[in-house]
Amino acid sequence: MHNSMKRSWFIVLGLLPALLVYTVFAILPILQSFYYSLMEWDGFSDMVFVGLDNFKELFQDELFWNSMKNNVLVVLASVLGQVPIALFIALLLNRKLKGLKFFRTIGFLPVVLSTVVISITWGLMYNFEDGLFNVFLRTVGLDALAQNWLGDTTWSMPSVLVTVIWQFIGLYLVIFMAALQNIPEEVLEAARMDGANEWTTTWKITLPMIWDTVIVAVILCISGSLKTFDLLYVMTNGGPAHSTEVMALYMFNQTFGQFQYGYGSAISVLIFAFSLLLIFVVTRLLGKKML
Amino acid sequence: MSRAIPLQTKKKWSIKRGLIYLVLSLFAIANAYPILWMMMNSFKSSKEFTVDQLGWPDQFVLDNYINAWNTANFGVLFGNSIYVTIVATLLTVFMGALASYCLARFSFKLNNIMHTYFVFGMLVPIHATLVPMFILMRDLGLLDTPVTLLFPYIAFHLPITIFILTSFMKAFPKDIEESAVMDGCGLFRIFWSIILPMSRPAIATVVILNLIYNWNEFSFALVLITDPMLKTLPLGLASFAGQYTTDYGAQMAGLTLSVLPIIAFYLFMEREIVRGMTAGAVKG
Repeated sequence: MHNSMKRSWFIVLGLLPALLVYTVFAILPILQSFYYSLMEWDGFSDMVFVGLDNFKELFQDELFWNSMKNNVLVVLASVLGQVPIALFIALLLNRKLKGLKFFRTIGFLPVVLSTVVISITWGLMYNFEDGLFNVFLRTVGLDALAQNWLGDTTWSMPSVLVTVIWQFIGLYLVIFMAALQNIPEEVLEAARMDGANEWTTTWKITLPMIWDTVIVAVILCISGSLKTFDLLYVMTNGGPAHSTEVMALYMFNQTFGQFQYGYGSAISVLIFAFSLLLIFVVTRLLGKKML
Repeated sequence: MSRAIPLQTKKKWSIKRGLIYLVLSLFAIANAYPILWMMMNSFKSSKEFTVDQLGWPDQFVLDNYINAWNTANFGVLFGNSIYVTIVATLLTVFMGALASYCLARFSFKLNNIMHTYFVFGMLVPIHATLVPMFILMRDLGLLDTPVTLLFPYIAFHLPITIFILTSFMKAFPKDIEESAVMDGCGLFRIFWSIILPMSRPAIATVVILNLIYNWNEFSFALVLITDPMLKTLPLGLASFAGQYTTDYGAQMAGLTLSVLPIIAFYLFMEREIVRGMTAGAVKG
């Protein structure tokens, strides 16, 4: 009896610090953003309850739809860029090669760098006058191809997407490499004995065996790219003319730039709902295909 | 005749190998060159920068570093980043490990609910909480203080920390603790001298994850910190780059300074980091 009392106290005291910090600083803010989304509020004066007006307004807000469209472009570029490239490189690396460790080390490097560093570096590379890309083009005599990469609405989004793709290929690369290493050698051996060439082995055996991992990568990729914020905030701040604005950035500018705390919170709620929904749908779709 | 066949397959084989190495090398260059470009140019005088941007510097000029260090207050930024990163990581891992021990080793009524509640945090997009976090901190009078960033960093990294640690601790056999209890060991003593040492591989993973996340974090710092004396490296770099848009040399020197510690850490602990980040990614 005495012992179990002690035990209960220990459990309570052991869980309490984590529970408290987590509840106050992670869960409470989410609940509050639901609450604030129903208010008209500049963050300082009194709140006015407006029900779903913020959401109604949001659905008619062209700039919001524009930011969602750009966000979808980021998701598509990430899923269609990062995952296939990472998979291809991982398949190339999945053999006895010299320098395997070197390629993996270099491949993963961008993942550990801070997004701010990546944004500033790529911003400098895209610079019109002195940026790496234009200097290179001018050096090889292709002056006509030099562009104002981040300053021109036609080129801003594609340029940004290249950086987005570049940043996280390495993450999926090492995930795929780990999955490939887990395929038992005997299975591939047996296929080769039956006369299957490398191409057939890859399509019929290797890929189906790591398909679960591919799905996990796609889901990670989607939820990751919906959170895109730092990179674009530092690189373009959504410009020029909103051409690279994504939802989180629009939310940030509405809230802290225009002091529309209620409206900004409504965007937050939609980001939250949209990412949960998309992850749910994709899990369902890809999960079904597997069976 | 009999020799021709192996020779031919050998040749085919080597062309294929060559192609594979070509593709891999292009990939490696695409990954490393932006970082290398930034580092190389940080040592060039502005004159050399305009003449030759693509190659190695003629001589390593340190002026850019002196400029960056003096104008961007790098000493302060480094100090703040080191402090926030280390304190937040230690607290997250300690609180997380204690909670994980309770969740993994004891059965009580709310155990499963509690575990799900913590793990749910991995689904919460951080940006959706920026506005209420700012208001909460303002109301608590915690904006722009040395402890501000510790709270969100701990709160948002507890889920992954607890998730990884509980799944690791659940696998331990029960008898070690039972014999320790027989010997009259207190529960905290068991946690500290038995469970923590046994969890070392998982602890290493979560420590690395937390260190890298905290060192690189930008969004919360952007919203919650305005005092230049409290800024962290990513935040300081972003405002430095915004102010000195034309001084490329100083910008690149600042960037190089800020990436050197993380690159050194990465090269030193590569295996562990890759394992930790992929575990974090797959589970998060």
